[in-house]
Amino acid sequence: MSDRPNILFINTDQHSWDAISAYGNPYLHTPHIDLLHLNGTSFSKSYCSDPVCAAARSSWVTGLYTSETGVPFNGGQLHANIPDIGQVLRASGYNVFHCGKWHVPGRDVRESFDTLYYGSHNIGAGGAAYFDSASTHAVADFLTNYEGNEPFYLQIGYIDPHDVCEYLHNHEEKRIPNPIEQGVLTEDELPPLPENFLYDERETVLHRVCKRIDNQLIHEKIKKAVRNWDELHWRYLRWSYYRFIEKVDAEIGRALSLLKQTSFCDRTLIIFSADHGEACGSHQLFQKFDLYEESVRVPFIVSCLGDGVDVGKGCMNEKHFVSGVDFFPTVCDYADIEIPDRCQGMSVRPIVEGKDTEWREYVYIESNYWGRAVITDDYKYVTEYKPKAVEDFVPPGPDSEQLGLVQLFNKHDDPWEKRNLAVEPEYQEVISSCRDKLLRIESRLNRQEIKQNGPRNVIYNWGKRLREYWEYQRK
Amino acid sequence: MLAHVDDSMALHWSFDYNHGSQKPDFALELTQLLQGYLENFADVGKDYRKHCYQILPNFWRGYVRQNNPERTSHIGNVVVERQKQNGDSWIYNVHYENTTNGEDIRLHFRCRDDVYRGLIESWDVVVNNNGIDQYSGLKLEGHFSNGSEIRLRYNDVEITAATLTDPVPITCNWALFDVIPNISEQIKGAKQCETIAFLDDLEQFRPKNTVGYLESIESPILLDGYYLHGKGVLPSYWWVDANGNVAIVSSVFETLVLRETEG
Repeated sequence: MSDRPNILFINTDQHSWDAISAYGNPYLHTPHIDLLHLNGTSFSKSYCSDPVCAAARSSWVTGLYTSETGVPFNGGQLHANIPDIGQVLRASGYNVFHCGKWHVPGRDVRESFDTLYYGSHNIGAGGAAYFDSASTHAVADFLTNYEGNEPFYLQIGYIDPHDVCEYLHNHEEKRIPNPIEQGVLTEDELPPLPENFLYDERETVLHRVCKRIDNQLIHEKIKKAVRNWDELHWRYLRWSYYRFIEKVDAEIGRALSLLKQTSFCDRTLIIFSADHGEACGSHQLFQKFDLYEESVRVPFIVSCLGDGVDVGKGCMNEKHFVSGVDFFPTVCDYADIEIPDRCQGMSVRPIVEGKDTEWREYVYIESNYWGRAVITDDYKYVTEYKPKAVEDFVPPGPDSEQLGLVQLFNKHDDPWEKRNLAVEPEYQEVISSCRDKLLRIESRLNRQEIKQNGPRNVIYNWGKRLREYWEYQRK
Repeated sequence: MLAHVDDSMALHWSFDYNHGSQKPDFALELTQLLQGYLENFADVGKDYRKHCYQILPNFWRGYVRQNNPERTSHIGNVVVERQKQNGDSWIYNVHYENTTNGEDIRLHFRCRDDVYRGLIESWDVVVNNNGIDQYSGLKLEGHFSNGSEIRLRYNDVEITAATLTDPVPITCNWALFDVIPNISEQIKGAKQCETIAFLDDLEQFRPKNTVGYLESIESPILLDGYYLHGKGVLPSYWWVDANGNVAIVSSVFETLVLRETEG
């Protein structure tokens, strides 16, 4: 057997960082994710690369930002010349397996991995109620039968709590009474409204066009439905979201229980993360596609249930900024594979092993093709690129002339992001510093032209709407 | 009696999916299934019962339908069959098929002949999957160990699925088709909730679930509604007809509609 560890990557979908009981959330119980935390190192400053499924996942499997991968939104296509984690690990001698959700359009998961289970028809974005239990069955079958001599890499893509999207869709065309009207719950069983339910309306144009205005680009029908919600409905959304997380935690629990009974548990590194979070009523938003903390901050745990892999146990790292692009180089590092030069991420392995290492001072996030954020220890800077007059289909940046509106939040005084400081003159220096950071990181990116008609149509149509709104703003 | 239901008629919100994502019409299909059940009504027996449900899709657009020349929307079937044995227990055989995830699950278990249908002895589950990937099926067995643990064996590997702290009867989710009618009058009359524990698909332990009375409706037929929820369990809505049969069960993703009974 090789000295290289087995690597088990367990991922959930739409799972906000704070929705884990070990991190202090009293409104749900996640004993199995808690177990990973107790046996590993968690990162408190962990962010997705882009708060939507396909985009974030394209970063996981390549170590690149979404303006580089060709998947800057759900309808993108991974550029054919970019290798994915399955191909890289397989070339180095790993047996590579995939189970469950993949959602990296443009790349056939069955080409890059041996697939344990990918649906009787290919799994798409949602459907946890059906696919997650089948995925656990497939993983159980694998773990109880694996006899390979080479180390394995297995990624399990659980879909929950993404089914909260279907919960929301259910409200589109009918009124569902709040749980008190139904009589199914008492008010004291519901989590409270989030601290930032009321929000600062001075948001970027991109955000308003995507999520706020009439005929918004994303989930207009749900927005219309939730306009009629009372506070109890919002609190019920939060209650329901936590039940979806408990469901997937139970699935993870069965997989971990079986792993613990195997001879290779000791030599299996486990990485747990989520592609993006869920707004869940914060800023009166639902789902994702925005740059607020609830949507972009995700769990990232490096763990081992035995003693065969050196990981700090029960640690909460509050110092280092981790990004979704770090997953790929971290796996390469543990697998003893040279990290490709073009990779934007960094391996967290030295941190997990308690070693000093040079690290980034801020994290960079992209959203909805034109949206950008930079998060430092002190501030969160959110901005947008204005769509070009005629799209050339190369993702925007770095271009200070093309930047639009700004949101700035103080990380210490305003962790709930309720007050946009960008309009206040004394913060112009901070904004300038953040903008420099943004442009600096973007100058390193290898953005390629998006050539397929499908994603081009999205960029064209969204860009048209954004240009109209900018025009309206100017008038 | 089945009330007249047409396309424009709203069903109860807990199983109203009569809108754009469902073609052919969900309400019509639901009422036709119930009509079939009523027209061929067979009172369930004292010692043998069989309920056949069709799984209808709710909102989501990702359902897969196969072998469906009638172009109905159904995405699977559930048959819950049980036989009384030795006057003190029920043997359950459940067959669940779902065309979307490809799972074909056969569950075999035994319960006490009491209101709560407590699981006893051992149970087994055989799963087949029609997907094209490596996983094609799985067998598992389960049992209680020393009254304090639920043990599951997948192939030759055994795990503790749950450690039991409360001495409460633990049933199977598929026995709720008997448990909920059993406790329905008591819940409805006293307007009190019941707490129950169950083993979901004989694998996932769900302790401390609440069952309560929701409301009664007259359309599409006279039905009493009950809800069920708990840790890791989104609310599902159970509708019991005047004959004591669960006629409709709706959860976030699917609606089970009774199409046939045998007894």
